[in-house]
Amino acid sequence: MSDFLRLLQLMRPYWGWLVLSAFLASVTVLANAALLGTSGWFITAMGLAGVAGVSMNYFTPAAMIRGFAILRTVSRYAERVISHEATLRVLAGLRVWLYKKLEPLAPGALATNRAADLSTRLQGDVDRLEQVFLRFISPIAVALFCGIVLVAFTALWSLDFAIALALLLILSGLVLPLAVERYGRDDARQVARGSVETNIALTDTVEGLADLQSYGAFDQAKRRGHEVADTVVFANWRLARNSAVATAGIGLAAQLAVIAALLILIPLFERGALSGPDLVMLTLLAIAAFEAVMPMPAALLTLSATLASARRIFALADTEPVVKEPARPVPLPVDMTFQFNDVSFSYPGQERAAVRNADLTLAPRRRIGVLGPSGSGKSTLGALALRFFDPTSGSVLLGGVNIRDLSADELRSHIAVASQTDHFFTATIRDNLRIARPTAAPEEIEDACRMAQIHDFIVAQPDGYDTFVGAAGLKLSGGQLRRLTVARAILKDAPILILDEPTEGLDGTVADALLAAVLTGLPDKSILLITHYPVRPELLDEMIVMEDGAIVERRMPPQSSTPDTE
Amino acid sequence: MSKPDVDKATTADFLKARSGGAKAALRLAVGVTLVGGVLAIAQAWVCAWIISDVVFNGAGLTEQTPRLLILFALALARFACSAFGETQSATAAAEVHRTLRREVLSHINALGPVGLADRATGETVAALTDSLRAIEPYYSRYLPAASLAALLPSAIFLAVVPYDWISAIVLIVTAPMIPLFMVLIGAGAERLNQRQWRKLARLSGHLLDAIQGLTTLKVFGASRREAANVAAMADDYRRETMGILRLAFLSSLVLEFFASISIALVAVFIGFRLLWGDLSFFNGFFVLLLAPEFYLPLRTLGSAYHSRMEAIGAGERIVALLSLEPAGARPPDSGSVKHVDVDGRDSRIQLDGVSVEFPDGRIGLRSVDLEIIPGETLALVGPSGGGKSMVLNLLLGFVSPSKGHVRVNDLVLDDIDLSCWRDEVTYLPQRPHVFDASIRSNIAMQFDGGPVDGDRLLDAARRAHIDHVISALPEGFDTRLGERGYGLSGGEVQRLALARAFYRDAPIVLIDEATAHLDSESEAIVADGLANLVANRTCVMIAHRSATLQFADRVAVIDDGTVKEITTPSGWITANPTALVEPFSLSPSTGPEGGEP
Repeated sequence: MSDFLRLLQLMRPYWGWLVLSAFLASVTVLANAALLGTSGWFITAMGLAGVAGVSMNYFTPAAMIRGFAILRTVSRYAERVISHEATLRVLAGLRVWLYKKLEPLAPGALATNRAADLSTRLQGDVDRLEQVFLRFISPIAVALFCGIVLVAFTALWSLDFAIALALLLILSGLVLPLAVERYGRDDARQVARGSVETNIALTDTVEGLADLQSYGAFDQAKRRGHEVADTVVFANWRLARNSAVATAGIGLAAQLAVIAALLILIPLFERGALSGPDLVMLTLLAIAAFEAVMPMPAALLTLSATLASARRIFALADTEPVVKEPARPVPLPVDMTFQFNDVSFSYPGQERAAVRNADLTLAPRRRIGVLGPSGSGKSTLGALALRFFDPTSGSVLLGGVNIRDLSADELRSHIAVASQTDHFFTATIRDNLRIARPTAAPEEIEDACRMAQIHDFIVAQPDGYDTFVGAAGLKLSGGQLRRLTVARAILKDAPILILDEPTEGLDGTVADALLAAVLTGLPDKSILLITHYPVRPELLDEMIVMEDGAIVERRMPPQSSTPDTE
Repeated sequence: MSKPDVDKATTADFLKARSGGAKAALRLAVGVTLVGGVLAIAQAWVCAWIISDVVFNGAGLTEQTPRLLILFALALARFACSAFGETQSATAAAEVHRTLRREVLSHINALGPVGLADRATGETVAALTDSLRAIEPYYSRYLPAASLAALLPSAIFLAVVPYDWISAIVLIVTAPMIPLFMVLIGAGAERLNQRQWRKLARLSGHLLDAIQGLTTLKVFGASRREAANVAAMADDYRRETMGILRLAFLSSLVLEFFASISIALVAVFIGFRLLWGDLSFFNGFFVLLLAPEFYLPLRTLGSAYHSRMEAIGAGERIVALLSLEPAGARPPDSGSVKHVDVDGRDSRIQLDGVSVEFPDGRIGLRSVDLEIIPGETLALVGPSGGGKSMVLNLLLGFVSPSKGHVRVNDLVLDDIDLSCWRDEVTYLPQRPHVFDASIRSNIAMQFDGGPVDGDRLLDAARRAHIDHVISALPEGFDTRLGERGYGLSGGEVQRLALARAFYRDAPIVLIDEATAHLDSESEAIVADGLANLVANRTCVMIAHRSATLQFADRVAVIDDGTVKEITTPSGWITANPTALVEPFSLSPSTGPEGGEP
C-alpha cells in the first residue's frame, strides 16, 4: 500500500491532467447512461401520450437525447486524447525520476544485480508503472465516481433499488475480480517462475546450438524447452479463463440488475409511486451503470503484478550508492601522479579479494603495463581509479590527495578509460564517440579512430561516421567495438589514459599496430595498459604482473625508451 | 548487418495464415459468442414484453414471475456463453503460440549455428518467448472480433426488421459507415505510424539504453547531462506519439458518433411513431434495447484493431527469423537423404572444389581442395575471417557446399544421414556452452534422464583433467552448472568440453582453437588433455597458438577463402614468427618471440 501511495506521490505534478482525464472518462460513461435512460423515458412517455391521445412536450427530451449523444462522442474523444497525454507526461516524469535515482548508483550499487537481468526486468517494470494511470487509477476513479452518481440518482426514486444496484456493482466490479485474482495467484507465480525457466532453457538451446547439434542432443534440448515454455502458456491460458469469467460476471450482474429493477420497481409502479417512463428509465440506467465497472477486472487482475513492479523499482531507487561524494571537495591537484597505496579490495558480497595490497605509481607521461591472466584483478584497478568503488583498505591518491576527497566528476574528467564493459548507444558512431568530448571537431574524431585502427572500417560503411550502432543499429564485432572504445577514450584527451584489454578480439597484426600507435602517439599522457596480450616491452616504461589480485612481479623493460627511468 | 526487411503486409498475412492451426477453437469461440448474441435478443424481447405488459396493460408483478424466471435463465446462459467463448479464444491463441514455437525452433535447427551467427541470442530467444506472447491477442481478440463484427449486427438487424423496419434502415445505413470511416482514418494513422515507427521505438527505448550505458556515461562525465536528454527524449516521444494518436483516435470518434447518434435517432423516431400511434410500445422498446447491442461488436472490433497492430509489430521479429535462409544448399532433413552408415574410423575426408556462398552474397570459401588423411592431425591457420571456421562448419554439416562436394570415403556428405555422420564426430568449439544442468548431464550431453555410463564419465573427467575440480565440489557430478549454477572458470569450461569429447569417444575430432581465451597455466592443462584426445583419432583443428599447433602433423594456411599452402608446424612458425597469439606467461622467456619452437 505504501508503494502505491508513493506511486501516487510521483504523479502529483500531473494531477491536473489526471483529474481532467478521469473526469472526461466519467462524463462519457454518464452521458451514455443518460442517453439510454432519457431514450427509455421518452419513448414510454410518448407511447403513453399516444395511447391516451394527449400531446406532450417532446422538444426538451428529444433535444436532450441528441445532446447526450453528442456529449458522449465529444467527451470520449477528449478523454482518449487527454488520458494519453497525461500518461505520456507521467511517463516522462517517471523516466527522469528513475534516471536521476539510478545515476549515482552506477556502476557500484547496480553491479550486484546482473546487468542484463536488471535491464530486462527494468523494462517490464517501467512499462507497467507508466501504464498505471491509464490501466489502474483511472478505471478505479471512474468506477467510483460514476457508481456513486448513478446509485445516488436512482435513490431519488427507490432506495431499495439503489441499494441492489450498488451491491451488484460492488460484487461484479470489486469482489469478483479480487476473488478471481486471488484464485489465480498460483498461476501468476507459475508464469513468473516459468518465464525465467523458459528463458534459460531456450537460451541454452539457441546459444548451445553448435554443441547440441554436433552432439546429437538438439532434440532433447528442444523437448525440454517446449516443456517449460508450455507450462507458461497453460498457466497464462488459465489466467485468461479466469479473466473471461470476471468479465462475463459484469454482464451477468447487469442482467441481474434488470431483474432486480423489475422486481423492485414494478410494485412501486402498481402502487402509483412510480410513473411508467421513470420505471423504464431506471431499468435502462441499471444496464448502463455497468459500463462504469467494465474495465475493473483488467485493472484488478494486474494489481499484484503492478505493485510488485512498483516495489522492485522503489527498492532499486532506494539503494545506497557505494561511494559517497565528499561534502566539501578538495580542489584538484596540479600534479597528475596517480598512486595506489597498499590497496586491497573485494567486491560487495564477495569474500575473495579482487585486489590485494597493491602498490603502484603512475607518474605523468609514464606507460605502465599491467599484465596477468584473466581474473587476476587487473580490471578492478581501473574501477578503483575511477572511484566506482572505494578500496577496502589502503588509498588511491591523485597528486598526493586521496581521491575520496575529490569531486568524483572532476576526478573522472581527468581520466579516460577504454573498458571491456563500455556501452554503445543506439546512435551514430560519431555521436557515440562525441560522448567523450561533445565539442570534438570531425578531424579530431578521425585522428582518434586512425590511432585506434578503426577509421578504415568506419569509412568503408555506406554511412561512414553516421552509421547507426547499438541495439537497433549495425552489429559490430567484439574487436570493432573494442577499437571504438579506445578511440573514444583517446578523444577524451584526459591526462591519464587507462586501456583495459584494448586488443581483445583483434588479430596479431592489428593488435600490434594499435598498441604501437597509442603507446608512442600520445607522449603527453600517462597510460595504464591492462592486458594479457604480449605487448612489445620497449613500448612500456614498467611492467607489472598481477596474479590472483596481487602484484607478483615488477620489471623494467630491457630497452626502455624514456629517459627518466632510474 | 541489415535485417531482412519485413513489411507489415507480409506479417499480417503470416499471422492470418497461422490461424489455421486453431480453426476449431476459433470457430467454437465465434459460434458460442454468436449464441450469446441471440440470447441477448431473446432477453430484450422478454424484457420488452414484461414492461409493455406492466406499463400499458396494467399487469402486476405476480403475472410476470415465469417471464422473470426466463430472464434469469437467459442471464445465466449468456454468462456461460460469454465466459466460454472468451476462454475458447484464449485456447486458440495458446494453440497458435505452441505450434509456432515448434515451427520456429525447427527452423532454428535447420539454420544451425552458422545461419544464426549474425543474430544476438537474446533477440532469437525474445522471438520465441515475448514475441509469441505478444501475437496472442491477434488470435484471442482480433480474429473473433472481426468475425463477430459482421455476424452479430446481422443477427440483430434480422431481429429488428419484422418489428420496426424504419429503425432497421437507420441501423443498416449507419453501420457500414463505421468500418468505412475507421479504415480510412486507420490507414492514415498506420502510414504515419510506419514512417515514425523506428523513431518512436528509439525514443521509447532511450531510457534503457541510457541506464545500460550509465557506467560509460559516468566515465565520460556525461551522466548528469544525460538526465536532460532523458527528459527531452521522453518529451519528444510524447509529442510524436500524440501526433499519431490524435489522428488514430478520430476513428473512435467516428465510431462513437455514429453509434450514439443512431441510438438517438432510433429513440426519437420510435418516440414520434408511438405518439402518433404508428407503432406498438413493445416493438419500439424491443428495438431500443437492441440498438446499443448492434454497435457493441463494432466497438469491440475498434479496440481489437489495436491488438492487431501490436501483434503485427511483434510478429515482425518472428517472420524475420523464419525468413532467414540456411547457408549452403542442404535441404534440412529432406527425404532425399540416403541413410548411409559411415564409419569415421579410417575414413578419408575430401573437400572437392568446395565453395560456400551465403544468401546475402558473402563468400565463405572459393573452390577449396583439401584432403584429410585418416589418423592425422591437420591444423588450420590463417587470419580470422579467412575461412578456417567454414571448413569446420562444412565438416559438421552446419553449412553445405554451394559448389563442389565434401566426400567421406567417396560418399558425398550431403547424401549421408546427418545425425549418423555427426555420431562419428566430436566438436570442441572455441567457447563451449555450459548448459543449465548437472555436470553429469553436461559431460554426457544427456538432458532428459537418459542412461549415463558412470565409469566412462569418470574416465572422461580424468583424461580431461577436470576430475579434481569436480570431486572438490560438495555435490560432485550432481553439481548444477549454467545460468543459475556453479560458475566454472574459462579453463574449466574448456576441460569440461574436453571431458564431453572423451565421453563421446568419436573417431573424428574437430577443434576450434580450444585454448584461445586461456592463460598459460590453464592452457598447459587443456593442451595436455588435447594431446590425449587427438592421439589415434583423425583431427582437424583451428590453431593460433604454439601450445595447440605442436600436435599437428600438417598445417593448412587458409586465407581469403582458399588454401594458400600446406606446410609443417615448424615450417609455418619459422615463416610467421609474430602471427601466433600467445597467452601471457610468467616465464621470462615469453615475449613476442614466445612462439619460437
